[in-house]
Amino acid sequence: MSNDQRQAWFARVMESGLENDIFAPSDVLAHATPDVLASHLPPELLSKVLSASLAAGSMTPERVLETVTPELLAKHLPHEVLWQCIAAAAARAGVNKTVGS
Amino acid sequence: MHRCGRRPRRGQQDGGLVNLKGFFVATLQSALDLGIAIPDDVLRHVTPDVLAAHLPRPLWARLLTACLGAPRVDAQLIVETLGVPNLCEHVPAPIVWGCIREIGQRSLEGGVVIATAAASPSRPISASRPIPLATPPPPPAIEPKAAAAPPPPPSTPNIPTPGAPEAELDASGRPRVPPGQRFRPSSSGIGRLAANSSQRRPQAQAAPPAPPAPAEPPADRGSAPRVKRGSTEADFDLETYVGGKDDWKNALAVEDEQLVDWSASDETVTNGDELGRKR
Repeated sequence: MSNDQRQAWFARVMESGLENDIFAPSDVLAHATPDVLASHLPPELLSKVLSASLAAGSMTPERVLETVTPELLAKHLPHEVLWQCIAAAAARAGVNKTVGS
Repeated sequence: MHRCGRRPRRGQQDGGLVNLKGFFVATLQSALDLGIAIPDDVLRHVTPDVLAAHLPRPLWARLLTACLGAPRVDAQLIVETLGVPNLCEHVPAPIVWGCIREIGQRSLEGGVVIATAAASPSRPISASRPIPLATPPPPPAIEPKAAAAPPPPPSTPNIPTPGAPEAELDASGRPRVPPGQRFRPSSSGIGRLAANSSQRRPQAQAAPPAPPAPAEPPADRGSAPRVKRGSTEADFDLETYVGGKDDWKNALAVEDEQLVDWSASDETVTNGDELGRKR
């Protein structure tokens, strides 16, 4: 599988997780911490996040993810980070209790 | 739908529902669409036993119908027949999640989907299919054997294509047998049916001449059955047909007592002839 396919899939999974309330933007930012974001997001994107927060007066996880969309998350962040977010959400939902690792 | 467990979250603070199955459908469907996963990955978790335990009977009926009508039953057929939404709807969430988790972990490890599909000896149902898209059935089995079949001729590097008509003798002078006949005698692929259609036509044509014979009066044409399609008896058929015409004229010859008085009868000419013909 190519990296583009993997990236597209992670973007779709993140988008679906947010749409279906599997995890919230705060859950995403619990894994995609400021350190992670700062380390991996390109400068222009960091600037845009800051600009949007300045314009709104606050920086919330929701607002961050309005700028850093799932596509951008999958493009710039390590997929391991995204997967941790997904797996943690699945664990909270209790779907992996009976499936052996 | 699963109720959210431990942590309150957006849309769930009041015990709202998590659309877990919608998430599963989107995740699994996109993985299949993007080539991240193949149907064999799904069937490794959603085994026939799982389907038997959780799939509703109407879906089982649909699946059986599709399997019976398909030339080959594999994971792709099952997944496409049932559909990802139905699978996620009826299969327990932990099982679906186990499938998604495996796909995700493999994706993180950079695993190749095709390699995992090829190494599938433990799968009872599906023969391994490397690519989820529709592929013509004959080439995977024919090409390797056809390449390994002729070891003697080292001077001819060009390997003939399986479907192309080739010379009767190969480089060593031996008659070459078409690979389709050698390696796939009993399978029932559509492509093979089309390829062998020329061999079956003579058998199909042998049946039709039989029905007309009992409809004819056996006395008139007994010695000359109307077999017009026989390849070696065409001339004979022409002769017997002329003879039959003469018999027909003789049969029309009527005697005086069979004639109808036209002035006293409203019957038409055809009725009179038919009376004579019936006698």
